Amino acid sequence: MATLNWRTINVDALDPDSPANFDLSSLTPAVAPASTADVQSLAGQIRQLLRGGDSEGALQGALESAPYGADERGKEIHLATVIEILQSIRQSDMSPILSRIYSSPGGTEALDVLMKYIYKGMSQTQTSSTTRNLTPQATGFSQVHARGGGEGGGQAMSVLLSWHEKLVEIAGPGSIVRVMTDRRTV
Amino acid sequence: MVCQAASDHHWQAPPHYDSRHDGIAGGRPRTTQCAFQRTTTSSRELPGGAFTMSQSLRPYLQCVRSSLTAALSLSNFASQASERHNVPEIEAASSPEVILNPLTVSRNENEKVYIEPSINSVRISIKIKQADEIEHILVHKFTRFLTQRAEAFFILRRKPVKGYDISFLITNFHTEEMLKHKLVDFIIQFMEEVDKEISEMKLFLNARARFVAESFLTPFD
Amino acid sequence: MLLLDYQNVLIESLLRERFAGGAPVSIDQVVSDFDGVTFHISTPETKTKILISIAIKCFSELVQYGAQEVLEREYGPFSIAPENGYDFSVQVDLETLPDDPDAKEDLIRRISLLKRNVMAAPFEQAFDEFKHLQEEASKYTSESAPQGVLEGGEVRAIHYREEEAIYIKASHDRVTVIFSTVFREETDRIFGKVFLQEFVDARRRAIQNAPQVLFRNDPPLELQNVPGVDRSGSNQIGYVTFVLFPRHLAGQRRADVISHIQTFRDYFHYHIKASKAYIHSRMRRRTADFLQVLNRARPENEEKERKTASGRTFRVQG
Repeated sequence: MATLNWRTINVDALDPDSPANFDLSSLTPAVAPASTADVQSLAGQIRQLLRGGDSEGALQGALESAPYGADERGKEIHLATVIEILQSIRQSDMSPILSRIYSSPGGTEALDVLMKYIYKGMSQTQTSSTTRNLTPQATGFSQVHARGGGEGGGQAMSVLLSWHEKLVEIAGPGSIVRVMTDRRTV
Repeated sequence: MVCQAASDHHWQAPPHYDSRHDGIAGGRPRTTQCAFQRTTTSSRELPGGAFTMSQSLRPYLQCVRSSLTAALSLSNFASQASERHNVPEIEAASSPEVILNPLTVSRNENEKVYIEPSINSVRISIKIKQADEIEHILVHKFTRFLTQRAEAFFILRRKPVKGYDISFLITNFHTEEMLKHKLVDFIIQFMEEVDKEISEMKLFLNARARFVAESFLTPFD
Repeated sequence: MLLLDYQNVLIESLLRERFAGGAPVSIDQVVSDFDGVTFHISTPETKTKILISIAIKCFSELVQYGAQEVLEREYGPFSIAPENGYDFSVQVDLETLPDDPDAKEDLIRRISLLKRNVMAAPFEQAFDEFKHLQEEASKYTSESAPQGVLEGGEVRAIHYREEEAIYIKASHDRVTVIFSTVFREETDRIFGKVFLQEFVDARRRAIQNAPQVLFRNDPPLELQNVPGVDRSGSNQIGYVTFVLFPRHLAGQRRADVISHIQTFRDYFHYHIKASKAYIHSRMRRRTADFLQVLNRARPENEEKERKTASGRTFRVQG
């Protein structure tokens, strides 16, 4: 104890009544736990729909069954499923599909979930796989290098960015606010 | 290019066109649309691939714009940890319940914006594109230059968040004092101009190097 | 202002002014030049006798490569015993100047080129050696040439700055001049690379007859057996190689090439600094623009005229 530096102790962390120890779970609505296997089988069903050409049904199904109660692994599987659906839908079909979902019962909730997946998708850029060496050779450096072009993950991101734009047009900025405030994360 | 035609139309708007009376930012999408298109027009006039870039740049900036507009809903909030203190909660991180889920907007792995909202403050971090060593050093020099003048910029954070090149911190006091949608305009314009400036500086450096080298070697000829 | 002058402008203008006539005045000036060279211009005895001395870091090395002979050739009658603390001195007596204005001008030019002439010695020696080796080599076919002809001569090292040096090596078909240069900071290194890449490319693109330029961070093969070369391969040090071909080494070109190549290191670093300065000024301007955009976010406070009860007006401070 003699070597402990008292000044560095965060006393707030030791006080059960301190705001630092606020129980965040009291803000989170109860969510049904979902196992990774459940998510996996769900993903299989959704892919079935997608293969059958019903991408709208697949999207709606995926959004309504978002596994809030799953662990990180399960959530990632579902994210991959949603992104796969989003990438399979053509740009011109985006707005009509979104409008139909919006006007269906529970549609606003579904679009809020979609917004969550779009943001989550954008935060998942793989930096490890495409880390490039800045100077490939000892003295080699290309000066005819245009800025821009297809950087890593650029294609997938531009799909998400188009979806985001269309979604804001239909669901409004409120859906973004709900992504920030909803403690149930995807 | 619908957007091109529309922007040409709006180009007639005077540069100090004030959309303040057209409603709160984000309230009417039409207003933000106009302001946005006006700023992109100037970036298209840049030589050096700006036109092709704008294809994916526009949705990126539009996404940042709507995300920022949503995140900038701030209210005054006194610290719960210490009496008579009023600190940006996102920086203090002493009350987890007033910190919201962060948002990431990315165009690719080298260009992203990280928005960390809280009840009374938002932290916005930008990762600026750096395609090679030269751009890396230019971005580093430029962001350093800016952060050293953070005092004048009010909303500029003195140190970027780890993994990003430059960060802004907007508190409820800033949004009370300044027009929110203009603050968003500033961030968007900043992102556009920084890219433009870096490319121009790099072009200049290459042009100068070429000229200098040829001038030195010509007397040998 | 793009290329650097070979002569020292201060000495040149000072001598020109003195030589033009007018009342003699006493002079005592210390003049700095590139590469840590210092000149001392003074009139120690009488006002008409101007003494010009040069201090140069690598003088002993230069003497080894024949600097004394070059200086004797250039300054013969004017050279005197070196002033204390300096390496070489010349003295001009204003009363015994040549009458011919061209001769006067030639003397001014000669003296203002003092640094160039001192540094020229190893280059001249190497160029002579090249001529000799070329003659030797022409007697043999490439297979039967004896040792020493193909490999070329020894490497002449001139440590003209604290951490930087010039290496000169003559061969039978070329003279190689290598500059080692230090980049003080990361920005210099990267800017330097951009510049050097253009030096390398210029020959391919525009100027076919220019010397070949090569750049690398580790010492080139020519410096393999030279003592005192940093072999750590750190990217703070760069080695710039100029390969001078026979057409650069003969006739009238010879003197110009010697003058010109000497300025390389300072020219190169000067332009790196100038680019940095320009980019800095750009950033300053751009920052001002950003501030303007940000200030647009402030609503203009409408100046409302307020009146007191008695009808006087006042302004709100600040």
